[in-house]
Amino acid sequence: MTDKCGVAAVAEAESVDDLLDSVTDDGLTGYNYAYLDEHTKREVRRATLSAIALPGHQVPFASREMPLARGWGTGGIQTSLSLLGPDDTFKVIDQGSDESVNAANIRRLAARTANVETTTDATEASVIQTRHRIPEEVLDDDQILVLQVPITDPLRRVDGSDDANRRRHAHSNYSKMWVALYENVVEYGEIKLSSRYPVLVGDRYLMDPSPIPRWDVPKLDDADNLFLFAAGREARIYAVPPHTEVEPLAFEDRQFQVERFPEHACGNCGSEDTFLTEVETDDGGRVYACNDASFCEKRRADPSLSKAHHRNGDGHTWGPPTDPSVPYESDGDSGENRGPAGPNRGGDE
Amino acid sequence: MDPVYDTRDCFRALVAAMSRPGTVSESPTEPADHAVLSTLVDHEVTCFTPDETVWSALETEGRLSEADVAAASIVHAPDPSECPVRDLERGSLKEPSDGATVVYRVETLITDPDPTDDVTRLALSGPGVPGKRWLGVDGFSRDNARALADAQSSYPCGVDAVLTTDRSIAAIPRSTELEVA
Repeated sequence: MTDKCGVAAVAEAESVDDLLDSVTDDGLTGYNYAYLDEHTKREVRRATLSAIALPGHQVPFASREMPLARGWGTGGIQTSLSLLGPDDTFKVIDQGSDESVNAANIRRLAARTANVETTTDATEASVIQTRHRIPEEVLDDDQILVLQVPITDPLRRVDGSDDANRRRHAHSNYSKMWVALYENVVEYGEIKLSSRYPVLVGDRYLMDPSPIPRWDVPKLDDADNLFLFAAGREARIYAVPPHTEVEPLAFEDRQFQVERFPEHACGNCGSEDTFLTEVETDDGGRVYACNDASFCEKRRADPSLSKAHHRNGDGHTWGPPTDPSVPYESDGDSGENRGPAGPNRGGDE
Repeated sequence: MDPVYDTRDCFRALVAAMSRPGTVSESPTEPADHAVLSTLVDHEVTCFTPDETVWSALETEGRLSEADVAAASIVHAPDPSECPVRDLERGSLKEPSDGATVVYRVETLITDPDPTDDVTRLALSGPGVPGKRWLGVDGFSRDNARALADAQSSYPCGVDAVLTTDRSIAAIPRSTELEVA
């Protein structure tokens, strides 16, 4: 049978199983390696290199239609598929989980069309595509993290006009964001942004680090790996190269704070130094559990495993250690700078 | 050069070079400047090349959209001394990514050159560089390097540079602080 999906074939077949048996190839005939055509890859690649040369600047690119709706990781997919080659190992994370539908499908697309190895182990992967989290395990200099971005411009919080915001970026005029943060302090006694915390990259560009929790923001600063941020819907790519200064905006007397969970350890592995999320159990109770599922699994096997275990104990800091000795204050109304907000208690969003 | 696998390898070499200025990556094919152009150029961007081989290869595939050296997005400089890098497009404050990328052809690239080496020694710092990195370039005079430093002096506007030999690739993006020793 030459006509694999034709009407004749369907008419001849007696059952669906017969039809499936008759499919001799893997359905990839006519597709280029890594799904994208070379013309698209060149476009994404030029924008990626431009983005690396201008840390924090949002570089426009011609975002293509992908086999899923814009806003579901199309920018990340285009960027990942432009990077991937047969020697790569690919990991996809969706809010800390390798097993969500979106992550599994993106991973399968890459495995099928780009013939890459896939893994759930963050230390094994050469390219990691992620949504809303940076892995708990320290990334190495030969790894690339591709973050999916829904909203590229941090200034959109304070002004809906892209044109005005691009002018502000041109002149590093971020006063409106400072005022917004000040108003936040006036209202809540501290800066309460649950995610998308604005950061200044290389002392020049204000950048939206994508909806990662504040917990992950310090990981961007002076990292060993390259971070690429891609937004398919907004058609922008931006980057934080390794060893680049990334500073969360804050005031002298109201500093940047990460989420802290001093009274909770992960219900599964007992970790106290990882980002936890509140999970509702079947019987209606609430437990805290690691958000990074693959590291949680490793910790269950070996509770003493450090986040830099694969780096011969070089002591590289990656993200904040949770210090249980710091008292948890749910309201930050006193004169002192304290009172971290919980992960779901942001004043924004 | 394989249009799929070699261009991907070349792109990854460029990513490595661009994100770690001063390090040297390996091009999949020789010469590396041709590999870089074949990876990046098509009719969506303007290109200037004085190299006949590259010109006809791109033209034959309908991928060449020519422009003057001062207006082109991608500029090929097989002879760095011939390239008026100060005059290249630097982009605008609002869209600095419109600045040109210049692909130089040089003789050799040496990481951590010895001060006694007879090469142009460049000290690089900034994003992608922990502290300072030294790059030695043969076939790229101090004047060429100073001209490039001038073209990159108006950050975020400026020119990104890729240095290529037969087989190796290094990059000096405009975010890099470039000192000529």
